[in-house]
Amino acid sequence: MKNLIFIFLISGMFIRCYDTPYVQGERIYNMHCQNCHMDDGSGLESLIKPLNSSDYLGKDEMICIIQAGILDTIIRGKDFLPKEMPSFEKFSPVEMANLVNYINNRWDKDFKEKTIIDIQRAIKSCR
Amino acid sequence: MKTFQYFPIITLLALLTSCRNSSNELPYLGNTTIVDGKSVYHTVGNIDHYNQDSVHMTNQDFKDVIYVADFFFTSCPSICPRVTKEMLRIYDAVNDLPDVKLVSFTIDPVRDTPHRLKLYADNIGADPSKWYFLTGDKDGTFALADTYFVTAYEDPDSPGGFDHSGKIILVDKEGHVRSYSEGTEPQSTPKIIEDIRKLDASYKK
Repeated sequence: MKNLIFIFLISGMFIRCYDTPYVQGERIYNMHCQNCHMDDGSGLESLIKPLNSSDYLGKDEMICIIQAGILDTIIRGKDFLPKEMPSFEKFSPVEMANLVNYINNRWDKDFKEKTIIDIQRAIKSCR
Repeated sequence: MKTFQYFPIITLLALLTSCRNSSNELPYLGNTTIVDGKSVYHTVGNIDHYNQDSVHMTNQDFKDVIYVADFFFTSCPSICPRVTKEMLRIYDAVNDLPDVKLVSFTIDPVRDTPHRLKLYADNIGADPSKWYFLTGDKDGTFALADTYFVTAYEDPDSPGGFDHSGKIILVDKEGHVRSYSEGTEPQSTPKIIEDIRKLDASYKK
């Protein structure tokens, strides 16, 4: 019993240190996404799309956009907007799962965790 | 009476605020030289640029305005959007001050034509009479950045091909640098907004 309480306390310590269960995803976000999409996911006016209110939260499209980058949102009329999202093809399915789960967990009200299988299936379905 | 309980706190607050009032004037940053017994403060370099409406602008256009400046480029993949976000915060906060302007110099004039700067400015909702996006000679802009104490140079190893710092610089009507903040540190923005107001008020005395 004493052991159990001890383990409980120790694990409690670790859980309290992080406000997200997706620490790896947070790291990837901070390294690759935060400069443009900002700490709070608010983006930059109509230049950089916000993530915190994105229509793609929880959807497979988000995985495709991260994979391929995005060009179509930067075309308005004949003019190309100067900001384009680069592609992150180099992300492994594990990294992609960590990142997408971090983003969705943070901003999607109906959050459902995606497995690596889900990610691989989504990537295959991307055009 | 409970009021007496707060007496020490009130005294301390009074002391702190009085101290701040006594040093109201912003410092002059950079090297000050003495010429004929008069202090000559550091002044920013030559502005010879075109804004997002292709209007030519020089230092003459800035002699009656206070402005904050940053150096950026539109295709910048690293810190620029964060700095622009803080510039936008300043823009919103000083909307009521007609003598205060914002200036964003591009360090990538080859790609950042006035047209492209216009698109960028429009997309963040910047009024072209309040916030100028300037493009000009590349080396001239690098040299100019130096006089704002901003590092900017071409570096193929940096993300986007340029290395530069994200400082936001406050310049007075005489072209002297009076304050700055770090565009990459949002917590430093309220201080520069306060300094802008202080500087603006100093011309109205």
